[in-house]
Amino acid sequence: MRLILFDGPPDVRGRFHPLALSRPIWELRCGMTSLAEKLTARIGAADVACWVPDYMAKVYAASTGRKVNDPATLAGDLLAVSATVKAATFNVPAKGPSEVGVNAAGEVVYARIASGDIAKVNSSPAGGDIPCRLGAFLTQAKAVLPNVTCDLPAYNYVWDLVLENPAQITEDFRAAGASGIEGTVEQPNAIRGSKKDVFIGRGAVVHPMVVLDAERGPIYLDEDVGVHPFTRIEGPCYVGRKSILLGAKCREGMSIGPVCRIGGEVEESVIQGYSNKYHEGFLGHAYVGEWVNLGALTTNSDLKNDYSAVSVVMDGRNPISTGSTKVGSIIGDHTKTSIGTLFNTGAYVGAMCLIMATGKPLSKFIPSFAWMLDGVATKGFGKRMLYQTAKVAMSRRKKEWTEADEAMWDAVYELTATVRNEAIRKGRRQMVRSRT
Amino acid sequence: MATVEERVKAVTGRVLGVDPDQIQPQQSFGADLGAESIQSVELVAMFEEEFGIEMDEDEALSVNTVKAAVDYITKVCQEQGVDV
Repeated sequence: MRLILFDGPPDVRGRFHPLALSRPIWELRCGMTSLAEKLTARIGAADVACWVPDYMAKVYAASTGRKVNDPATLAGDLLAVSATVKAATFNVPAKGPSEVGVNAAGEVVYARIASGDIAKVNSSPAGGDIPCRLGAFLTQAKAVLPNVTCDLPAYNYVWDLVLENPAQITEDFRAAGASGIEGTVEQPNAIRGSKKDVFIGRGAVVHPMVVLDAERGPIYLDEDVGVHPFTRIEGPCYVGRKSILLGAKCREGMSIGPVCRIGGEVEESVIQGYSNKYHEGFLGHAYVGEWVNLGALTTNSDLKNDYSAVSVVMDGRNPISTGSTKVGSIIGDHTKTSIGTLFNTGAYVGAMCLIMATGKPLSKFIPSFAWMLDGVATKGFGKRMLYQTAKVAMSRRKKEWTEADEAMWDAVYELTATVRNEAIRKGRRQMVRSRT
Repeated sequence: MATVEERVKAVTGRVLGVDPDQIQPQQSFGADLGAESIQSVELVAMFEEEFGIEMDEDEALSVNTVKAAVDYITKVCQEQGVDV
C-alpha cells in the first residue's frame, strides 16, 4: 500500500496561507512533528508519495525524500489522505475494498483504492477542483467508487494548529517515548516537575541558570539545541535541532522548528524553522514561517481588550472568526520586521514582506510582498530586493537560494497580486491624504 | 492644466518638504533634494496617485533626477493611455 498525501483545492489551501503559499499543508507543524510525520506514523506507511501545486513541486521535491507529482505513483494499492485530517483520529484501515470518504462539504477526505480498481478510475471522465493530476484522479475515484460519509476531525484553518499545539506536544512526547538527559546540563540549574517529562537530546547544551519547568507538561530539547542563561522553559515545549534560546521566557505550548534563534517572551506559538526572534518582545498564539526575522521589540497582541473572539482577515476583505479569544499573528516565510513592530490581534502577515514600525499596531491584513511604510502597503523596492535579502539570509545558515526558489516565489507573487495591488492602491490614497 | 514638470515638482515638494519653485530639473532626488530611501518609495507612490498610473518599481526607483522623472512619467502615461 502506498500512502498519497494531498492537501485539497485552492480554497482549502488558502485557509493555511500564508504558510501554505510555499509548502504543502502537511509540512506544517503541530506539536513536535509535521502533520505528514503524524499521518505517516499513524497509517504505518513506508511508501509515501505526494501531490502539490505545480508551482512549488520543484522546490518541495528538493526538500523531501518522497516522490512528488509523479503519475507513476497512482498505481497499485493506494490510500490517499487529505493532510488536514487529524492523524490521531484517522481510523480507516489501510487495506480493504475501494471506497472514497467524503465530508459534509463534498470534499474527498480519503480514497482507498485497490489496485484492481485503478483502471476503472482512470477510465472515467477527467475533471476536479484540485489543479493537478491527482485532483482529477480523486474526482474520478469519487465518481466511480463507493462513497462513504466521513466526519473525521480536521484542521480547518492555520490557527487550529496553534490552538492544538500544547496538547499535541504532550501527545507527541508520549509517542516519542524519550526522556532523560543525553546532552549537557551545566549547573546550577533547576528542573521542576518530574525528570521523566524532560528530554535533552545529544549535543544539546543547557547553560547554568536555566529553569526547565515540566510541572504542567513535557519539555523536549532536540539534538544540538543551545539554552543560554536565564532562559525559563515551561512545558509542554518542543525545541528543534540546532535552535538556540537566548535568555528567553518560553511560556507553555511553544514549538520551535530547527535552526531558530529565540529570545524575549514566546507563548503557545509555532515557529516553522530557520527564523529569528533574537531580542525582547512578545510573540503569543502565533504561527511564524521560515526565514522570518522579527526585529527587537516586535510584539504581537493575542488577546483583545474586550476578551471577545479574535477574527483573522485572510483575503484582505472578510474577517473570519476564529472562535478563540487568543490568536496572535500568522506570519509567512521570509518576512522581516523592524525594531518596535506591533502586530494587531489575529494579524495576517503575508510572506516576503518588509515591515517598518509605526509606533501603532499595524493593519490586520498585510499582503505578501508588501513593503509596509508609515503603516501603509507600498511596492517598496520591489521583489528583486526581497529576493536578494532572502538569498543573504539563507546563505547565513548555509542554505542556497535556487532558481527553483525564485520561480516558486514569482508564482506566489502572481498568486497574491490582486489583494496586494488593492492594498497598495489604498495605501497610496492614505499617503496622499496624510500629505494634504 | 499644470504640466507634468509642474506636477512632479509639486509632489516632490510635498514629500520632501521643499519649495517646488526652488526645484530644478537637473537636481537629483537624493544628493540635491535630500530624499532618503523611504521617501523614494513614497515619491513613487505619490506620483502614481497624482497621475493615475502604475509604475514598475525597479524602473521608477532607478530614476535619479527631476528631469528623468518627468520623462519617465510622461512615457508611462502615454503607454497607459493617461492624458497629460
